[in-house]
Amino acid sequence: MKISDYLGLSISNLWKRKLRTFLTAFGVTVGIGALVAMVGFGKGMQKNVTESFASLDLFNSLTVFPAGPTTRRFGFDPDDRVAVEKNPLPSGAILDDEAVKKLEQLGGVQSVFPEIRFPALIKFKAAEEFRLVQVIPAKITSSKLIKLSVGKPFSRDDEDSVIIGTSLLRPLKIQDPAAVLGQKIGVAAIAFDFSRFNPMNIASLLQERQLPFKQTAYEFTVVGVTSAMSFGGPSPLQSDVLIPPGSARRIEKLPFANIWDLFSALGGRLGYSAVNIRLSSPRDVDPVKRKIQDMGFSTFALVDQFNQIRTSFIYMDMMLAAVAMIAIFVASLGIINTMVMSILERYSEIGIMKAVGASDRDIQKIFFFESSSIGFLGGVFGLALGWAVSRIINRVVNYFLARQGLPFLEYFSFPLWLCLGAVAFAVLVSLVSGIYPAHRAARVDPVIALRHD
Amino acid sequence: MRLNQTDPSMIKTSSLTKTYSTGRVQVEALKNVNLDIDQGAFVAVAGASGSGKSTLLNLLGGLDQPTSGVIEVEGKKISEMNREELALYRRFGVGMIFQSFNLVSSRTALENVELPMIFADVPKRDRRQRAGKMLDRVGLLPRCRHRPPELSGGEQQRVAIARALINEPRILLADEPTGNLDSRTSREILELLADLNQSQGLTVVLVSHEVTLAREFAGEIIELRDGRVESRESTP
Repeated sequence: MKISDYLGLSISNLWKRKLRTFLTAFGVTVGIGALVAMVGFGKGMQKNVTESFASLDLFNSLTVFPAGPTTRRFGFDPDDRVAVEKNPLPSGAILDDEAVKKLEQLGGVQSVFPEIRFPALIKFKAAEEFRLVQVIPAKITSSKLIKLSVGKPFSRDDEDSVIIGTSLLRPLKIQDPAAVLGQKIGVAAIAFDFSRFNPMNIASLLQERQLPFKQTAYEFTVVGVTSAMSFGGPSPLQSDVLIPPGSARRIEKLPFANIWDLFSALGGRLGYSAVNIRLSSPRDVDPVKRKIQDMGFSTFALVDQFNQIRTSFIYMDMMLAAVAMIAIFVASLGIINTMVMSILERYSEIGIMKAVGASDRDIQKIFFFESSSIGFLGGVFGLALGWAVSRIINRVVNYFLARQGLPFLEYFSFPLWLCLGAVAFAVLVSLVSGIYPAHRAARVDPVIALRHD
Repeated sequence: MRLNQTDPSMIKTSSLTKTYSTGRVQVEALKNVNLDIDQGAFVAVAGASGSGKSTLLNLLGGLDQPTSGVIEVEGKKISEMNREELALYRRFGVGMIFQSFNLVSSRTALENVELPMIFADVPKRDRRQRAGKMLDRVGLLPRCRHRPPELSGGEQQRVAIARALINEPRILLADEPTGNLDSRTSREILELLADLNQSQGLTVVLVSHEVTLAREFAGEIIELRDGRVESRESTP
């Protein structure tokens, strides 16, 4: 028998029982749809992370921390922070300007900038908003790390310019990011007010009625607005208000951004809480990391974090696929049921085919073609269903994200191997489901079947 | 496969025995049957029901295997064939028709006649053409697009005959082909078989309990009783 004949016979048989065929195939459709949507989601998330890492050049990034109980930079327990490799020697190395110079001289290091943040009140017209202002050198603002939707990067390190993030537009009641360019924004910083440290009011200071601080306002010109992007997390970008170091130095401010910096400062370890390093290539990460650790600092490489993320994505993919596998298993029981029913209905037809010369193998193949046609049909529809579901979810999720001012994100990815693999898998599952029915059909005794009416 | 002219026998059985075991009871359907059917003969096998007629035909048709004994068809021992070889024998060596026609009711007359050619690897276009020709030969071309339930008993049996002969076997085995037909139609069907026998040299083995009618067409009557050959006579 030719393949076209097997196909023709099975398709005409399936077509005769349209409803049952489609119901059985629908079982496969649901299973494959779930598989495609879930694996597509896993792949989409993975792709997003990989792409954002690559586009921000984060694979070239390295962060240096002072040794010892450092900042709770990522908000989780230091014991869990596997990626931060602590120096086993409690060395007293301080992450100050001298250390920054040494870091700059290491081979493979492209640029170094310490992480400096200070609390400030941002004012624009009537709107006020609290923020941690981050100091970013001019050359970093023109790197891949910062993506501007409008405006330009800082041209000098000492200009009174500010770059703001999209996330700040709404709190400051700015409609059009382009319109804010060239406008002045007020940055009011807090600093110690030494004039208040006099014996006259020391008593009230001790009673905590008055704090020895003052507020000074500075004006900055907006030169750029970043496109919607996330900050924080593993990125060296930790704020949506960025100013150059030269003008930052002129601002009277507190030398710490959080209470952990204060603890370090009290321990006589005044220095930067972190220093960001950009390397010329991801290959330099390991050697540079080793050299920095020899200097007595802790390091954190995003590549290491990325590998952890990748492992967790593999687990996530596997779990999502396992859920879909349950649906596919149920669908395969449906195929077995349909095929066995079909043997009983077509008992005499099988006998007739044998009487006119069909071999056991012919009958077996006819049934295999039928079950795999069901699988193919279910697989193709499943692919379409999975894709349709992903479009709906993507649209709904992005609708809510957009309302919070977050950028559009494609949560699903359907690489070609996933599409082809899903259909191939559906056919494979239905072939396996067809083994028992096909074997049983092949063993039908024509003498009995022809007596059957 | 051409027949050896020195040996005119088409079908030969020796000590053919078939025993069915249904549960604990053993039923001997055929006991030590020795037969010799010549090439181009029209033989009728008669006998009461349960005499082993259908069992004999199923064995000759390669649908079943004997318990012991030998069946030789055109010099080949089909009693020693495996399942795959038997399928080939059924496909090319022999055609069968039945009392209940055994057509696939969901397929048209044309598609039913095409069916054996699918297993014989005949290309689709040739199948259509050959099936049409064969239906024309049995006088049913105008009804070729009809499905069996839309055809009369006689018409269905003609379709079955066309299907049985489409792969050009040299033997036709007919198991009570007129059992479901009225007397006029029965006669027409037997006339068709006799005509095929005469004009094409087709060897016909007809199982029938209507001895009088069979006697009119067959050249030889073999009578079976309780699984044994009771008598064998040539008709005038």
